[in-house]
Formats: sequence, C-alpha cells, structure tokens
Amino acid sequence: MAARAEPVYPVDWKHGRVASWLTTVDHKRIGILYIGTALVFFAAGGVLALLMRAQLATPNEHFLTKDAYSGTMTMHGTTMIFLVIVPILAGFGNYLVPLMIGARDMAFPRLNAFSYWTYVLGGIVLYGSYFAAGGPAKSGWTSYVPLSEAFYSPGHGQDYWILALHILTISSLAGAINFLVTIHNMRARGMTWMRMPLFIWSIETYAILLVAVLPALSAGLTLLLLDRQAGTHFFIPSQGGNAVLYQHVFWFFGHPEVYIMVLPVFGMISEIIPVFARKPIFGYKAVAFSTISIAFFSMLVWAHHMFAVGMPIGLDAFFMITSMVIAVPTGVKIFNWLATTWRGNIHFDTPMLFALGFIALFTMGGLSGIFVAAFPVDWQVTDTYYVVAHLHYVLFGGSMFGIFGGLYYWWPKMFGRTLDERLGKLSFWLMFVGFNATFLPQHMLGLLGMPRRIWTYQHGGLWEWYNLTSTIGSGVMAIGVLVFAVNVWRTQVLRIGKRVGNDPWLGDTLEWYTSSPPPPHNFDDVPYVTSPRPLRDLRRRVSEQD
Amino acid sequence: MLGPVVALVTAGVAAAANGGFTPQHPHSPNARHINSAYYLIAGFTAAIFLIVETALVVFIWKYRSRGRARSSEGSQVHGNTRLELIWTAVPVVILVIIGGFVFWQLPKISDVPAASASDRLNIRVEGHQFYWQFDYPNGARSIGDLHVPAGKVVYLTITSPDVAHSWWIPQLGGKTDAIPGRTNHTWFKADRTGTFTGQCAEFCGLYHEAMHATVIASSDADYEAWLAGAASTDLGRAEFQGVCATCHGMKGQGGYGPALSSSSIVTQAAGLAAIVRNGRNKMPAVGTTWTKQQMDALLSYLKKSIYTGAAPSGG
Repeated sequence: MAARAEPVYPVDWKHGRVASWLTTVDHKRIGILYIGTALVFFAAGGVLALLMRAQLATPNEHFLTKDAYSGTMTMHGTTMIFLVIVPILAGFGNYLVPLMIGARDMAFPRLNAFSYWTYVLGGIVLYGSYFAAGGPAKSGWTSYVPLSEAFYSPGHGQDYWILALHILTISSLAGAINFLVTIHNMRARGMTWMRMPLFIWSIETYAILLVAVLPALSAGLTLLLLDRQAGTHFFIPSQGGNAVLYQHVFWFFGHPEVYIMVLPVFGMISEIIPVFARKPIFGYKAVAFSTISIAFFSMLVWAHHMFAVGMPIGLDAFFMITSMVIAVPTGVKIFNWLATTWRGNIHFDTPMLFALGFIALFTMGGLSGIFVAAFPVDWQVTDTYYVVAHLHYVLFGGSMFGIFGGLYYWWPKMFGRTLDERLGKLSFWLMFVGFNATFLPQHMLGLLGMPRRIWTYQHGGLWEWYNLTSTIGSGVMAIGVLVFAVNVWRTQVLRIGKRVGNDPWLGDTLEWYTSSPPPPHNFDDVPYVTSPRPLRDLRRRVSEQD
Repeated sequence: MLGPVVALVTAGVAAAANGGFTPQHPHSPNARHINSAYYLIAGFTAAIFLIVETALVVFIWKYRSRGRARSSEGSQVHGNTRLELIWTAVPVVILVIIGGFVFWQLPKISDVPAASASDRLNIRVEGHQFYWQFDYPNGARSIGDLHVPAGKVVYLTITSPDVAHSWWIPQLGGKTDAIPGRTNHTWFKADRTGTFTGQCAEFCGLYHEAMHATVIASSDADYEAWLAGAASTDLGRAEFQGVCATCHGMKGQGGYGPALSSSSIVTQAAGLAAIVRNGRNKMPAVGTTWTKQQMDALLSYLKKSIYTGAAPSGG
C-alpha cells in the first residue's frame, strides 16, 4: 500500500500557537519537538561535562564535592545517551522518514505523540531526582550492582534513575515499532528496498535493534528495582544473587545501544556526503548491507565490556573475535564514504564540514576500538580515560558531529531558512579543535594510569598537563556549541537568514520535492520512484524536456 | 612486512616512552606481553589511520569545487565490486594477524608460570570500600601495601566482600575485577625491586579515587624480615592510615567522617569493633572480614597515636 497523493485538507496551523504544538500528531512537529527537547538536554548534559572538566583541571581540586561529582558523572552519561542522542535521532527519524519515503505521516501518529511525551516525562523524572532524598543517582550511567543496591546507594536518586529509564524505554519502543510499520508499509510507489534512501535503511536497523534489546534493559532494571524496593536479591551476592548477571543483562542492551546511537548517523552521513560531493553514494548496496551486518554483530559483542570480570578465556576469545569482525563492515562504510568524495565537485557548506569531520574523528574512535577489543590489551586500558576518549570519539566525534551536520543540512527543510554559513563554519572549527584538545589527551591519561570516574588525582606533571589541556578544550568546544545556539537564535528569533526554496542543496531524496517547510500533508503528489535518487532523476527529466 | 612494522613502531614509542603513548613500562612478564600486543595493534592502526586521513585530506583538496556550480555533477561512479572486495578482505587479513598474535601471546599473559612452591607466593586480595587488604600465607595481613619478593611468581586470589572493585597495577599487568560472590585470579612477577603503584579501576563509591594500592617488591631477605616483624607491629598504623584516614583524616582530625581524635568510642574495644565491622550511617562496613588481632592492633594504635582526649563538650 504505497502512499498516494492525497487531497489537501486545510489545517488551521495558526489555531493556538502553543496549544497546536502540545496537541500535535504531525510527524514534522513531533520531530522538531524531539530535536528541540534533545538540544535542551544536550545543553544540560554539556554543563555537567564542563563541571566535571573544571573539577579535573588540576590535581587535588575541590571545585565539586565527591558527592556532587558522582552525581554529575552519572547524570552526564545518562543524559547524553538516553535524553540526547537516542531521542534526537528519533526526532530526525520522525521528521524525515515519512518525507523521504513519500508518505503523509508516520503509520501511527497518536502513538508518535505518545512516544514524544513519554520521552519528556522520562527526562522530567530523571532531572526530578535532583530533588530526591539523597540527590540524583551516583553509581554511574551503568549503575553496576551491588553499588546501586539499596544498601550501598540509599536515598531515592537510584530509584528515580530506574524509573526514568523504564519510561524512556517505553518511549523508544513505541517509536521503534512506529518506524518499522511506516517503513515497511508506506513507501512511495516504486521505492523498493534497494531504492530506499540510506538514512531509511539506518532507521530500519536502529528500530530493529531497539525492539530487540530494550526488553533486556527493562528486565535488568526491573530486577534491580525489586532488589531495592521489594527485598529480593537477584544481584546481591551475600544473599545468593549474582553481580555479574547484571553486567551481562546491561551490556546485552548496552552495546547494541552504541550502534543505535551511531547507525542513524551513518545514514545521515550517507545522505550528506553524496549531495555535497555532487555524486551518488559509492557502493549503495555495500553501505546498506554493512549497516545490517553491523546491527547483527552488535548483538554478539556485549561482553567485551566485561573482559576484566574473570570470564573463561574461551568467552573472552569469542567476544574479541566478534568485536573485531564488526570492524570490517564499519571499515567498508568509511572507505565507501571516502570513495564518494573521489572525483567529486565538493562543496564545503557547513553540513559537509561536519560530515567530513565525522569521518576524520570516527575513524579514530573505530581504530582505538581495536585496542579495546583485544582483551589482553583491554585488561590495561579498560575503565581508564582511554575508554572515555574512545567512547567520546565514537559518540561525540561520531554521533554528535553527524547530528550537527544533519541539523545544518535539514534546517532549511524544517524552517524554510538556512542557518548562517559563517557562524556555522566558525562553530564547526571551534568544535573540531576543541573536541580533539579535549579527548585526544585522554587516551594518554588512560595509558598513564588514570581510571575513569575518579573525583580527583594527586599526580602533577603529565597528568596535570593532559587534564588541563582537556579542560581547556572542553571550554573551546562549549564556545562552538554556543555559536550554534546564537546561529539558531538569529535564524529563528531574529529571522535573519536566507529564505530558500524546496531544494537548496540540490538533494537526491524525496523530502526536497516538497516545499520548505512542507505543508501538513507533506506532498500534493509523489513521483514514481525509479532509483535511490528520485529527485536527481526528476531534475534530469526536467532538463531533458527543456 | 610484520617485522619492520613492529620495529619501526617500537622505536617510535620508545622515543615517546612514558608520555602516555603506550602502556606504562612493564616490570612483569604478563605486562610485557600485553605491551607487545599493543605495539602490533598500534602499528596497524597507525597505518590505517594515516591512509584514511591522508586520503580524506587529499580528496578534499583535489576535488574541491573551485567555483564550479552546484549543478555541475562530479563523476557519476556508483561503485566498484573489486574495490569493495579489497577493502573488505584486507582488514580481515589484518585482523586475523592481530588476533593470531594476541592468541600467540596469550599463554604468556594469562597462564601462571609453573613455579616450585618456594618460588611462588600465594596472596589473597580483598577489595573493600575503600582499601585493598592482603593476606599472606603465614596469616599476616597488610592494608594498602602489598609486600612481595622480587623475582618470584605472585599468585593473587581476588575477591570483595562489598561492591565491585578492580585490581590494577599497570606496570605489573592488566586489571582483574574484585567482585563479591566471585573469586578471580591473576599473577605477576616483579622483575626488579621497587615500588609499583596503581589504584582501583572500577567505580566503587564515593571514595573510589582514594583506593590506591602499592606493591613493594623487595629482596627475599627484606621480604622475610618484613613478614616476621613489621607485618604485625605496623598493622594498626597501616589499618588506620589505609582505611580510617580516608574519611577521618590522617590525624583523626575529621574530614568527610567525624573527628576521631576526640571521640572516646575509639578507646572502647566492643563499641569500636561493632562500628568497624558493621558500619554506621554513611560509614561503610570496612572491617567485615577483620580478625580479632586486627581489631586489637587498631585499638592500640588509636589509643596510642590518635586519641587525644574527649572534646570539652564531651562529644
């Protein structure tokens, strides 16, 4: 049942400026709400990060108390993962999936609104924990047992944390099912699987992974909550429970979660690079199939987070091999993106800068991943700042750079105006330089012996120099993000910003076929799709007719 | 191809030694073999990194638009099966080499070397909130500092009575978690006398950062002398400084926890033992596994060196 051009129903967009947003079931508005809310949480999580960097700038610092530091690092990690990256990708998915496949809306618009509002509720509950007895959760975003059990973490912060994650799980699950049903059933006529935009492939796998692994997280959280509140002892070893079981359950969710946070970004990069290189993606099928194989293997690597818990060597070996296997399809993607720029006509607009920055940084994060996959080497670097550096190269240098690229790329579609290019480029360079200054030295800190999650350290010398550099870098990065905020404010509030037509970048995919911003019903008509680049096909047909 | 790569990288990292570009200089065979694996991976990943980043920069420079209009398309290449196969197969080969090398080194890293009883020391390690406790074969116990004879295989049996911790002395090998309900093992063999430091690597609560460990490797004679004498006479001080002082201050003046120098509880054997064993309010049950001898040592140290009399208010 491919979507067909439907008659235009007049919708009164003016009716209640606020009310219309609160009650909307339109996928575009929900998408924008998701993205806006996630950016607010990004600012909150960023402030928490800056507080941590301030505390770690110099040895024996007392900027934050131990108590505050533990809460800050827990909230930073939880915020960035559950309230920023996953939901902002849901936002992009919401906004773009119907437009890219030529549909009128998501399959279940009300469920879509439900997903968004449960996400908001989850965020409120998590930040509500600051008012709980004993403050927010303090056992890290992984909340390992028995530390997160009631005996070692009294107070209700940990309970709020569990509750918030439960709520966010429901939100993501509903959203994922909605994506799957939409993609499977509502594609435009002619859009076969091999003609889908690569971003749609990535949202498809993102949704499959969410459906597959979120139940494991829910189960683990439920057992932990029962331990804390109902007197059970699933994870309490002194009463017959098993502490390592929690780690297995958590990482069975937790590692695919990493790919949930990067696959859709891979999709965005696969959309942006061809458009700004004025070329088709190199190896469409290779990129699509590598997405699927990454998703598949991502569910077989979880215990590489647990090489130090004393698993049998056979298991260590298994998880090392699967973790290395996953590097192969990831490499395929990098090489295909590179080849896409080959003999192109590369335009360095801000979205492209972020996409190329993504390749540069993600490559680094992928390669440091080989060190941590080799379990004897992991025995040295795990739980140190080396891992902190590695994961930020993947999730900030990777995911967030791609997301910023996506924001600059689709902003004119969402609002009809481009963000300012000069501010965009300034923001990119500040973030790129700041990012490397922040996280490159953290590799060295880890190898020097600095464990993660420590409140302070005594060593001067290199420890201090690297930490200070890292803190200064985080400040530069923050200025870069601030420049982005100014850019948004200029464009959206002051209304300075170039008005653009349907297709400012000469894009390849269907979202550029409709107006910017699109009408509530998206399309008056949808062309028959004959390739993964329907808009380019259309442009060529038009120019041939001329 | 492998030899020159390893040699080149080794030379490179030697120049950068201790700058944090490689794991710390190893002083135990297991740590040394981990470093070999690190160098090999560093060689390959550095090469891949250079290839990718160079290609990126070259393509960006060479194929920049130079004022060409956006509507002017680049070369419409859709792919190349041979290239796809090459950049799938070459990484596979590299990963097989890395994996093979790791498995070749593995026995020298994880297998405890065969050693006669006289050349091997068995130590039981307990990770506690927030200190390390070491049990020696003769029943002696130490806190924070692990005394070993250099040149002997030290076999560690690691566990925890409270939350998860991670044992890590970077120069003597990788991490082994101390997890309640589990018993893990690792080993090292210090190749010289000296002091090797590390700290707990698994977040274990508020004072995680204060949970340091020092391995003091000495000559056989010095080790035996320490074991015979200092182990017992010094126990009270080691307990106080390694366990209590974290929160109560080095002189018992108070800090995160209340002052001990003016608290008469520290002079009462039964009351002290109850608090130390069971914890109270925010104080963790630091002494769940302590012996009577340890309690006595702590009591006498507290009486002798910390307690200065009740505060005027009596509290």
